[in-house]
Amino acid sequence: MGLMSFFAPRVPKGVYGLMAEYDGPDTLLEACKAVRDAGYKKTDSFSPFPIHGMEEALGLPESKVGKIAILFSFTGASIALLMQWWTGAEGYPLIVGGKPLFAFEPSIPITFELTVLLSAFSSVALMLALNGLPRFNHPVFGAKNFDRVGDDRFMLLIEKSDPKFDETATRQLLEATHPKSTQVVESN
Amino acid sequence: MSGHDNLAGLTDRWYLDDSTWSKVRNALLFVALIGWIGCGAGLALDPDRFYKSYLVGFAYATFTCLGGLFFLQVMYLTGSAWSVTVRRIVEHLVAAIPACAVLFIPVVLGIHHLYEWSHVEEVSKDPILSQKSGFLNVEGFIIRGVVFFAIWSFIAWKITSQSLAQDKDQSIAHMDTASRWSAPGLVFTFLTVSLAAFDWLMSLAPHWYSTIFGLYIFAGGGWTFISTMMIICQLFRKNGILAKSITVEHYHDLGKWMFATTAFWSYIAFSQYMLIWYANLPEETIWYKIRWEGGWEVLSYLLIVGHFFFPFLVLLARGSKRNLGLMFGMAFWVLFIQYIDLYFVIMPNFYKSPAPHWLDLFGWLAPVGTVGVVFWSRFRGKALVPVGDLRLEQALGHQNI
Repeated sequence: MGLMSFFAPRVPKGVYGLMAEYDGPDTLLEACKAVRDAGYKKTDSFSPFPIHGMEEALGLPESKVGKIAILFSFTGASIALLMQWWTGAEGYPLIVGGKPLFAFEPSIPITFELTVLLSAFSSVALMLALNGLPRFNHPVFGAKNFDRVGDDRFMLLIEKSDPKFDETATRQLLEATHPKSTQVVESN
Repeated sequence: MSGHDNLAGLTDRWYLDDSTWSKVRNALLFVALIGWIGCGAGLALDPDRFYKSYLVGFAYATFTCLGGLFFLQVMYLTGSAWSVTVRRIVEHLVAAIPACAVLFIPVVLGIHHLYEWSHVEEVSKDPILSQKSGFLNVEGFIIRGVVFFAIWSFIAWKITSQSLAQDKDQSIAHMDTASRWSAPGLVFTFLTVSLAAFDWLMSLAPHWYSTIFGLYIFAGGGWTFISTMMIICQLFRKNGILAKSITVEHYHDLGKWMFATTAFWSYIAFSQYMLIWYANLPEETIWYKIRWEGGWEVLSYLLIVGHFFFPFLVLLARGSKRNLGLMFGMAFWVLFIQYIDLYFVIMPNFYKSPAPHWLDLFGWLAPVGTVGVVFWSRFRGKALVPVGDLRLEQALGHQNI
């Protein structure tokens, strides 16, 4: 299968989760808070535009990208300084323009570039990896009306993998938040 | 819209009590008075040192206000909504620029104490200064100073008066007018601030030149400005003024600006240093050489660590920008280090090694206190936030993603 197996769906077949549909950002935000307060962790919301306060309403933790990326940036700075010191002062010492073999002053621009390069590349790569991307498909794309999320629909998903998930109880919780409709999302 | 539960700020009072206002004004008047009495004593006892110490304080106060002018125009040009909550405070600080024009008078009076190029007989013996005398002469210095302050005061008046008029009629036309003035205003601000830094500070070493010097000074002014904002807002908060309107989200954004100006100053300062180091021309390196011996190297090290590494690493984390206590302390650190920076720029031109003097304190207190009095006097009878701005509700409910 080669490359295709890398992109193979990582979710088991069957029920993937419960999806509720709302008609506005305010009702969605309220529903998210209710679901968060009920103790659900594996949730996600979908809306045509970013909604302020959504991270808090969903109880999302702070992104891990920055904390890991700073390690990469220190790595970049170290590599740059070591490389310039070794090539200039150890591996092939050569006096140019009467300058010292190694000095911090001219080394800073390259150190800066490599720091930025490694932190930028690692941030993008980490963002993709932590999001489980790239992938070709996702079960939520099969949900009814999901195409309208890009237009005028607001949706809230509770995944089956959440330890608190129980099809009846979770559906009752979602119904209590006054959605337009609820549906079971299937993975196939 | 979402986030309505964050509009608790609407319960804040938009006006200061008269008693609070006069208490703070009296305190600031007292500080300014102490400063001027000290300066007067210094002028009588040691005029030479007075002018030198005063120049540090004058540059400190003026470039801080100019940092506000920069910030105000950028906020209008980018149409940013978050800053509307704190914009009135910026406007009042910017309105102190005409007062800085008055503070410029002692610098002019002390011109022969401060500037080597103002001594005509010495200039005639020096071929380089003779060549430069077309620009560096007393008349030109005064005329340019007046023009700079006229341009800055005009831009400041144009923008702040629109905002005050908007308080009354809530018309979007005022916002558009302010934005339109901000575009050419920003161009003129940068050009004139750069030239002012050349005139007032770089020409202390008249043989030396660095085209980036104006930005170096302006970057420091922006840094102190944003830290001053952080301190004023938090002092308001501690006294229950605008405590619900200026939320942690706004402090987070002020913190981002502190971080940005830290990085910008460092970038500019290093650019200036590295080019001079690499070119290794004696007439350029002398500026750093005299700052690397006789005790001045302590300040050089302090700037590298205190102006870059320490604030950069602390402000980098999201958590620290949302930690009000930490940011309060950081803002005071910034104000202290910026004084060191200006001291480092000005004093080594006169002294072989650092010699702190009691006039350094009064030379700083007098201009800063004066700006404080003018700034504070603007609060009387005016709303604490631009109540007529159509983005105010959006600004109060602002959240960082």
